[in-house]
Amino acid sequence: MAESKEEVEVLVQRVVKDISIAFKRHPNIEEIGLIQCPEARYNRSPIVLVENKLGVESWCVKFLLPYVHNKLLLYRQRKHWLDREALVDITCTLLLLNPDFTTAWNVRRWVLQHILRQFSAVAHKTQQQPDAERTQVLGSHLDQLIHQEMKVCSDAACRYPSNYNAWSHRIWVLQHMAKGNIKVFRDELTSVHPWVSMHVSDHSGFHYRQFLLKELLNTELSQSLSSDSASTIFCPPQHQSNTVHSTCPQANGELSLGNAACGDRITTVFKLFHQETELCSDLIQSFPGHETLWSHRRHVYYLWHHWRQDQDLCSDGKENELKPTGINEPSGSQGKSVDRHKHVSVPMEVDRVSLPDHDSKRLRRGILLPNLLTLQNEHTFVNSILNSCCNAEQNNYAVAYKKWLDTVISAQSLDI
Amino acid sequence: MKLYSLSVLYKGATKANLLKAAYDLSSFSFFQRSSVQEFMTFTSALIAERTSVGTRASVKEQEYLCHVYVRNDNLSAVVISDSEYPQRVCFTLLDKVLEEFSRGVDSIDWPSGNPDTISYKGLDIHLSKYQNPREADAMTKVQAELDETKIILHNTMESLLERGEKLDDLVSKSEHLGNQSKAFYKTARKQNSCCEIM
Repeated sequence: MAESKEEVEVLVQRVVKDISIAFKRHPNIEEIGLIQCPEARYNRSPIVLVENKLGVESWCVKFLLPYVHNKLLLYRQRKHWLDREALVDITCTLLLLNPDFTTAWNVRRWVLQHILRQFSAVAHKTQQQPDAERTQVLGSHLDQLIHQEMKVCSDAACRYPSNYNAWSHRIWVLQHMAKGNIKVFRDELTSVHPWVSMHVSDHSGFHYRQFLLKELLNTELSQSLSSDSASTIFCPPQHQSNTVHSTCPQANGELSLGNAACGDRITTVFKLFHQETELCSDLIQSFPGHETLWSHRRHVYYLWHHWRQDQDLCSDGKENELKPTGINEPSGSQGKSVDRHKHVSVPMEVDRVSLPDHDSKRLRRGILLPNLLTLQNEHTFVNSILNSCCNAEQNNYAVAYKKWLDTVISAQSLDI
Repeated sequence: MKLYSLSVLYKGATKANLLKAAYDLSSFSFFQRSSVQEFMTFTSALIAERTSVGTRASVKEQEYLCHVYVRNDNLSAVVISDSEYPQRVCFTLLDKVLEEFSRGVDSIDWPSGNPDTISYKGLDIHLSKYQNPREADAMTKVQAELDETKIILHNTMESLLERGEKLDDLVSKSEHLGNQSKAFYKTARKQNSCCEIM
């Protein structure tokens, strides 16, 4: 079936046009798929439309894809001009055939950055001439964009397991469009909770939760150091994600939490970790034998462990109230870890350790919380899994986790 | 975490007879669904045929897991899931379905029945409900009942076959597969992949 170059070119151009017409006539197309069809039949178009689903017969792909790919490359290299309509048709076809194209996500980000720059310009004007209505409109537009991107990422994540591109894009969007916006991060944690519960071996989904936790931690930290700010002026997102001293108020105009008590902030962080650990335990027990869940547990505990150590070190001069985070005995049922966690302002009840007297005042204020994130409790959890499970893989993961606790966590605790 | 198909079959002397089936193909591309369904029927029947009476087995094929229970009275059920879905819950589901089916459909109809003549309607509901394993069943209850060591594990479909039998031959002879599906299978085998374009 040797077709001349001209015949191929004519055929391909017809197909590209057919695709473009299909989209124009049927804006409700909700799905695109490949139809297994090794040979062209009856000189018919390979583009098929059934019930708002667009199909492309497979025989044409080997002609179509190289052609459009090449055309786009030439355009990018400025060797071949394409007018706007042709460009739209070509990229549409290309993405249709290869939605995995990283470039597609890049293009999306490029567009978003363009929009953000426009926002910045408006925001700058607003700072000079405050306009509450304009701020609100901007804010809500931004929220809409974020929401839309989250939906796109979520749909893409469902289609391929551990879809790195989709989840990276999701992270990018939050980093660039929701910096310091606690509400968005919390909402995202809530929103992906059911998703990760039904995709327990999707590592990217859990990695996203780790990212959200870290961001919330950083934001809490930065707000504890920033001065109180009641400013509601929209502030364009920073691109540096590591500044601890950011005084940027949230994009949606919420008041900064800088005026909350230190104790409340620590309680918030603690609750975050507690909830995440609970989720992890629940899934590990319900779905034995998934390494992703144990890996997630490591990440969460590691984060918690280091955050706690940082808190202990930055003690606002009250070092005499703090003790090191404990010398932990090697693993085993006889080992009793002597963790004593004392934060500057919030006391936590520790297993088998009674509260020192100077904390009783705080007790009466009612901000006492049981600390379930001790090393001891981690060991208790692992032991309970080992004792009850009959799944060989689960057993191995539990043993490995126990080893990690002993070698990594205990060793780091000793360093203080 | 997904269930794709749930079927009830009668294991006859030489082949398994499909009595009723339910499918959830929503995660597959629209244009592939009819082929996918045919392959799931083909697979379910083959597994039921090659599993001994009175046993449970799990067969792994690529990213799918097929769980089967052939009862002592030859009534069988097969569920096809992904690799995340907990195995225990699958077997609870199979037990439940067989129990319900045998109460609702007279055993005299089993050897010769087919989906058009059999009036059991529970499969679709069960398939839908069990998409969320924790909502569908208290898993702690299941832990105690099932002895996992008695479930036979097969790492590929091939291990179900007799010596010298080829899956390709079974596919081309199968009455469950239409011509398009058979062609699709041939292409996929040649490319050594199932659904990739390039």
